[in-house]
Order: sequence, then C-alpha cells, then structure tokens
Amino acid sequence: MTDNLLEVEGLVREFAVRGRHQNVKAVDDVSFTIARGEALGLVGESGSGKSTTARCVLRLIEPTSGTVRLNGVDITSLRGRELREFRAKAQLVFQDPYSSLNPRMRVEEIIAEGIRIHRPRVKDAEVRDEIVALLEVVGLRPDHLTRKPAAFSGGERQRIGIARALAVNPELLVCDEPVASLDVSIQAQILNLFQDLKARLGLTLLYIAHDLATVRHLCDRVAVMEQGQIREIGTRDQLYNDPQAAYTKALMAAVPRPDPIEERRKLAARRAALTGATP
Amino acid sequence: MSSVQKLAAAGEAGGQSLPDVSRPLLEVRDLTVSFNAPHGLVKAVNGVSFSVSPRERVGIVGESGSGKSVTAQALLGLLPTATVTGQILFDGRDILSMPKSDLRALRGWDISYIFQDPLSALDPVRTIGDQISQPLRLRGVHQKEAKTRAIQMLAKVGIREPARRYKDYPHQFSGGMRQRVMIAMALIGEPRLVIADEPTTALDVRVQAQVIDLLYSLTEEQGTAVVFITHDLGILAGFADRMMVMYAGRVMEAAETDELYYRSINPYTLGLLQSLPRIDGPIPLTLTAIGGRPPSPSNLPGGCSFHPRCRYAQDICTAERPPLETPENGTHPSACHFANWLTEEPGVLR
Repeated sequence: MTDNLLEVEGLVREFAVRGRHQNVKAVDDVSFTIARGEALGLVGESGSGKSTTARCVLRLIEPTSGTVRLNGVDITSLRGRELREFRAKAQLVFQDPYSSLNPRMRVEEIIAEGIRIHRPRVKDAEVRDEIVALLEVVGLRPDHLTRKPAAFSGGERQRIGIARALAVNPELLVCDEPVASLDVSIQAQILNLFQDLKARLGLTLLYIAHDLATVRHLCDRVAVMEQGQIREIGTRDQLYNDPQAAYTKALMAAVPRPDPIEERRKLAARRAALTGATP
Repeated sequence: MSSVQKLAAAGEAGGQSLPDVSRPLLEVRDLTVSFNAPHGLVKAVNGVSFSVSPRERVGIVGESGSGKSVTAQALLGLLPTATVTGQILFDGRDILSMPKSDLRALRGWDISYIFQDPLSALDPVRTIGDQISQPLRLRGVHQKEAKTRAIQMLAKVGIREPARRYKDYPHQFSGGMRQRVMIAMALIGEPRLVIADEPTTALDVRVQAQVIDLLYSLTEEQGTAVVFITHDLGILAGFADRMMVMYAGRVMEAAETDELYYRSINPYTLGLLQSLPRIDGPIPLTLTAIGGRPPSPSNLPGGCSFHPRCRYAQDICTAERPPLETPENGTHPSACHFANWLTEEPGVLR
C-alpha cells in the first residue's frame, strides 16, 4: 500500500445557474489520490473544474457529494477545532500575488498571522526567528521583513505567499496557478523553488495549472480535467510520452513551442485542415 | 539610428530615401517615451527604432516594464500624458506631429489595436454588434450596410450564428469569443496595420492557436501587417517573420524569427529561451532561470540595463551601454558588448 496523504473520492460540486432547471456540475465524480511527498498536477482549461476541485479539497466550498480524506480523515464533515486544525494542514498558494497580500501589512505580519492563529503559544522572539528562517527558505532576505508588499516584484510577492503558506507547517500545499501571472524569467525561479521545497521539506503538492509545460517540470503525476471530469491520470512519463485521451492529445498539440520550424508546420497543418473542411 | 531598420527596410543608410515600392508601412525612429511620476521621471522607452512592411508579421517580446506595450500605445498616439520624442512614420506621415483630427481618422481605420483584456475594452452596456459596426458608421456607412458587414466579420472570426449574436452583450460571450469580437472590431475597417497587444494572454492554449491562425490568415489574404506584442516566446515562433526582444525600454536583439530562436547572440534572449519549461525533450533538474528581476523604469541601472542579471557581465557592461549593432561575424543586431564572442556559438547559453 502506498502512503496516501490525500484521497478524493467521487467528488461532485454543483452550482445553481439562474434560468436553468438543472444544476451545473462543475466537478462531476472526480477521484484521485496523492501520496505523501508527491506532486500531482491538475491540468485543464478554464471552466474545466480544476479550481473548484481545489477549493473543495481545501474546504473553502462544500462539496455536493463525495469524500475528501486527509490522513484518512474525511474533512468534509469537520467542524470547530478539528476544522481549524485542518486549515493549518492544508495551505493554499494563490495565483495572483498582487491581490493575495494585504498591502497595509508588513511582510513580517503577513507571515506571522498564520503562526499566531494556529500556534498561539509560540513566543514573539521565536516567531521572528521562524520567519527569518522561512524567508531564507523561499529566497528572500531578513531585511525584507519590515517592508510592505508594494516594495516587491511579482516573483518576490509569490515567495512571500509561499512563506506564509509554509509558516503553519502544512502537510499539503495546494497551488492554484502560482506562476501564471509572473514574467517568464521569474516563472523559472518560482518553479525551481517549488522543486527545492518538495525535495527539502518533503512537501506534498496539488498543483493546479492550465499549462502543461510547467506541470511537466514539477509534478510526479498529472491529471487532465475537462468538463468537471478527469479524462486521464497517470505518471508524468506516461502522460507526456504516451497520452491516451483525445483531449490530452489535443491540449498537448496546441501548446506552442519555442521552435519556429515546428510551429510553422503546425500552423500550416491547422490551415490545411480548415480549408479541407470547406472546399 | 539603429541597425534594426537595416533588417526591415533592406538597408536604409544615412537617411537615404528608398523607392516607394519598398517603403515600409510603419517606420519608428529613435522613439522615447517618458512619464512624469511623483517619484521622478519614468523612462519607459529609450530609443527604439524598427519598421514594418505591408503584410509583414513583426513580434515584439518583452517582460513587464520592458516598454513593449508603451511602444505600441505610442504608435497610435494613445499616451496623452507622456513625453514622446522621435518619429513614428505611418505611410510616410509622422503620427507624433499630426493634427488630432488626422490621427482620429487613422485610428480604427488604417491602424487598429487589439487590446489584451477584452472585458475591459468592450463597453458592457452596448451590444457587440453596435460596437463592431461603429467604425463603419462613424465613416458614414449606412446603418444597414454596416450591420451586414459586421455580421460578415463576426462569421469570419468564427462566431457561430453571427446574426443572432450581433444583438448580444459582451457578458454573454466567453473569454475566447470576446477576444474574437475584439478582433472583428479591429478588422472591420480593413486596416493596413493591426497592433495586437498580448491578444492571447488570457486565453486557453487551443483558443490561442485559433487567434493566431486568424491573424495569420489576415496577413496572408488581405496583406494586413501585424505587430504582435507578447511576453510569450512560444506563441510567436510559428507566427512572426521578424522579432524584436525588448528590455528596460530598449531593443536587445532584432532578427528574423529563425535566427532569434536558433541563433540568438544576446544573453537576455538566450536566458528567456532557456528558462522556458518545455513540453518535450529531457527534463532538467532545475530550470535555468534568469536571476534577479527586471529593473524599474524609474531607476534603470547604468551601462547595459541587463548587466545586474547577466551571467557574462564584465566591468565594461556596468560602465558603457552597448549599442544595438550587428557584430562583425553576426547576421543580425544585438545590444551586447560580447555579441561577437557569442557568434562563435550562437543560440547557446554557455
């Protein structure tokens, strides 16, 4: 038996849509597991249900049905103290590092907030030491402590967001498109940081992305979602070397590569297919 | 005067004018744009020159703060609060010294602009048909005729049931469809130049490909020229004829597309290419990232703007700004003191 940290089974989340009798199933019978220390990439286009799945896993929204187990405990029915404890175990790194940091708080306060809530007995001096250590882990300097988010670039803000998530010693880190809004030269830095954290801290990651290329660099296994369902799930090598689902293949084919000869060939093929269809 | 133009306009030496047939549609000469901000002068564009010929596809690549979008906005005179110097010649006429009424006549007609974010660029309380047909109606095309042509244009950009969708509002369209509406609006006046500012950034990869195909067809079938601005090197690979890489308001490297991707001789371009995660090939343990962060346009480093992040930086790089020129053994211009050394092994970050 593998040591699964997270087990999602038969997850369904419906939303009521005005003007329609039937609810829309944003997540429609999704099941997957993540082993301790593993990184699972959840890939899909907008509207595929990947973010809704993540929000159910974190219990930011209630699933309509299905179970989500962390360490074997179903978190969908947790309340009170148990729910608060779960909040520390599963943390989120947001997509947009601009709107997810309070502009009025200093870096130190941003990172300390979680520690004070979840571990109220830790002394001030220790909190500060921990924060300094965390900043080092994510590649920031101690003198950054007293600054506010406005003083930082997007990549640095994302590092602050990661430090904040790590501050409460989570077992599961859910990352919702954490590099999507960063500059290309900075994306690689943050991807390397995740890789490093995974190796050094043994973190378990649920990594949400629309981008198959970043996922390939970070994740051990990958699930591809479309219309609320997982179309394909497999190890990185299986999925990228030998995709099975038609949808996965279509997504892969559309990813632009920095290779003009290959891309011109693809563009010509797409144009030929179009003109062939309308003689 | 920079040597980028040499590539584009087949060699414009010493201000010598070219015969009309090969005259570029757009010619930008030593463009600078700066803004007065409370904390000092923000130098967004610092001497950019390039040209675009009819039916040409030119890509401008840059990260945030590179000046790529500001350059694009300057082309249409969309920067009323900025100080703009240099020349922007469209069809031989300088946009910067043109009377406002002439500029208005150009916009949306000879030159049109596709914005990055269709949701904020479309008016939420007017139907998309009303918005698409506006450029025609403003120029005196009869209401009925304008509507017919707008519906045709909607069909052309791949909107199904165009006659019905004509009456819909922006919120009734998905992100990709809205971007098509934007493109329809930009194309309805049959412009000679389209400036597309990150038109695919917010879109899923399959929709991105459709938008690229659409713009490509336009250049092939109608001879429209396209300036495509993006931060994504992947997107432009199959589309652009020529490319320009910008950093800190300057052109770092300008080349034909294949030259730039396969035989770059600029450390910044090479760094960008290396830092891209790939969907095929070997997976490196760590990606080769460019360290540090792009400089703030209000506080540019001296010498070469890229030197604080450059692996090859030497004393000369902090002291002197490298001009954009073609090195002795090179095929295209690069703003780097070591461009000639890089031609020994082009396309490789050593």
